[in-house]
Amino acid sequence: MRIELLFPDACYLGGDTANFEYLCRALPEAETVRTGIRQRPAFMDGDVDMILLGSMTERAQVLARDALAPCLDRIRSLIDGGTVFLVTGNAIEVFGQYIGDEDGTRTGMLGLFGYHAERRMMARHNSLYLGELDGKKIVGFKSQFGHCYGSTEAPLFRTLRGVGLNPDTEGEGVLRNNFMATYLLGPLLIMSPPFMRYVLELLGRPDAPVPFEAAALAAYEQRIGEFENPRVRMID
Amino acid sequence: MGKLRFIAALWAAKLCRPLLRLLGRNATNFPGEVALRICPDFLGQIGKPGRIVAVTGTNGKTTVCNIIVSVLERSGIRPLCNREGGNIASGISAALAQGASLTGKTKYDVGVLEVDERSALRIFRYIEPELLVITNLTRDSVMRNAHPAYIADILTSAIPKKTKLILNGDDLITVGVAPENPRAYFAIDSLPGDTVELRNRIDDLRVCPRCAGELKYVYRRYHHIGKAVCAVCGYTNPEPDYLGTDADPENRRITVRERDGDWSCRLLSDSTFNIYNIVTVAAALREFGLARDVIAAALEKTELPSSRFHAAEGGGVTAVMQMAKDKNAFAISRVFDYLSGLPGKKEIIMMNSCIEDHVHGSENVCWMYDCDFEFLNTEEITRIVVTGPRYRDFYMRLLMAGVPEERLRQTPKELDAPKELALAEGEDVYILYGTAGIELAEKVQAATLREAESRRSQA
Repeated sequence: MRIELLFPDACYLGGDTANFEYLCRALPEAETVRTGIRQRPAFMDGDVDMILLGSMTERAQVLARDALAPCLDRIRSLIDGGTVFLVTGNAIEVFGQYIGDEDGTRTGMLGLFGYHAERRMMARHNSLYLGELDGKKIVGFKSQFGHCYGSTEAPLFRTLRGVGLNPDTEGEGVLRNNFMATYLLGPLLIMSPPFMRYVLELLGRPDAPVPFEAAALAAYEQRIGEFENPRVRMID
Repeated sequence: MGKLRFIAALWAAKLCRPLLRLLGRNATNFPGEVALRICPDFLGQIGKPGRIVAVTGTNGKTTVCNIIVSVLERSGIRPLCNREGGNIASGISAALAQGASLTGKTKYDVGVLEVDERSALRIFRYIEPELLVITNLTRDSVMRNAHPAYIADILTSAIPKKTKLILNGDDLITVGVAPENPRAYFAIDSLPGDTVELRNRIDDLRVCPRCAGELKYVYRRYHHIGKAVCAVCGYTNPEPDYLGTDADPENRRITVRERDGDWSCRLLSDSTFNIYNIVTVAAALREFGLARDVIAAALEKTELPSSRFHAAEGGGVTAVMQMAKDKNAFAISRVFDYLSGLPGKKEIIMMNSCIEDHVHGSENVCWMYDCDFEFLNTEEITRIVVTGPRYRDFYMRLLMAGVPEERLRQTPKELDAPKELALAEGEDVYILYGTAGIELAEKVQAATLREAESRRSQA
């Protein structure tokens, strides 16, 4: 088992790194790799079972694009081969066609998927999210400048309350084979133990214990209760 | 029409204050909200002091402002300040309205204004400070401030071109703000706790802000604060105009080194954060034109505002209220680091949930995983009681930080937390509260002392 966290020196916002740490704790036998923005990704030279990329600054989006651009063919083959990807927060935008800004500029991205992002730097979107994956409830948070439009991929989550990939779309995130990308940011796997369980199953380790499962479930159930409460405002 | 609208806004704002007092409420920024609603360019029309020192940044701006005001007052200068109204446009409008005559002329020569960094575009459109202090730019609420580079960009586009900046030279993100403006830098010389390694989860400057090359730290105070050199382009921290040196936190003294001489002043607290606050104040007031001995003499008599740090004793324990700014992973990490370094056994009541978020929503807790809860994993912290709306998230986070389960207690209601403490004789209890939680924290502090006294009388 090999798990690679991409670019923790440039893509580290919103507590996303905790997903990697949670996996490390759940799978202590796994080889874990932290690849810096100027290093060659481990997945280029060998098999990896899971790759994570987290939220980042707008400048880091360009750095991440440049770092991954030479790896596109390999990324495509890994996706086709069923490697698990977890892409969180605005990292989702890096895999689209481009990011459009209010002044009309377009910053080209990797173009792995057909969608593009529209970014509004003075209009931050903050919201709570309640969705469903594989019949299990998923809770999370969004905090972002952009939304993605034009996706033809299957969504990762079915939205129950909150905003999807954009305010006019019900589905949230992108799912192709085991490539999972979502605007939800932060410690997703900790906040939604069923999602952690789902990922462990994808990795072929359904038997692996979810660390501190009772405490995680208690917080998860409290949050579901809050997010299902109609008096709780989902969009800030 | 514009002038009439302005006068109507001004009088309405002025009337708000006595009306609110009659209703038994504090004025806060409400008069400013009223003024801006009536006259959207109220800030442009209202009279302003001829000399304005503005203070912005992620952390420390309230404390720095309060100390600057205190020193000025002790020096015989009565400045206008927005201490009551808040640091966004409405708060500053309220303060300026209060400080103006019925025709809108200001009654003050000097203003000290705390400015919310996110509101800079709106405020600096109308207000041109003579001096602008930027305390630091670090991670704050991910919801509001995204990341410090975003705030640096906002400030760069908002700051008037003639304003002289007083910048934290130990913070390369702050150093990069508004590069065309005149500037002076303050910094603190190496301190005993400095390291080269990163001890924190947050480091917002791992690659060079100019060329994205690898940054090598000569020393790190915490997070990205310290001295770094880019391995590729050589970019590094500027030479400070005001260097805090020979810091002696135990005896509360520090030397400020200027280009033409040294002077000594008093530290108001032993935390590194507050050492920065004092050096910041010294730099700002020297740039303002105050003499060294005047600043030093005033600092001898100045105390930190009790809303940030307030200790009380009873039942053989000391209960300390300590603000830990909710959703600000950086600020809370600094508090955790400070607590972990204090001598002696201690307990913590962790109640710094964002109370305001739970009125109609739910707090985004992603900050917890940017925050160094790991500092609390020390045997000197014998018990941590997690409480308030996010007590279960605190509990989970502390487990992830490696804190043994037997040192943790959880209870949803803050006022029940003192019952969960061990309250050993001679022990300190730290009550960590968020920005809106001061009143509740005071009640918890009182309940803690009552609980300690009750147990002592039963013993």
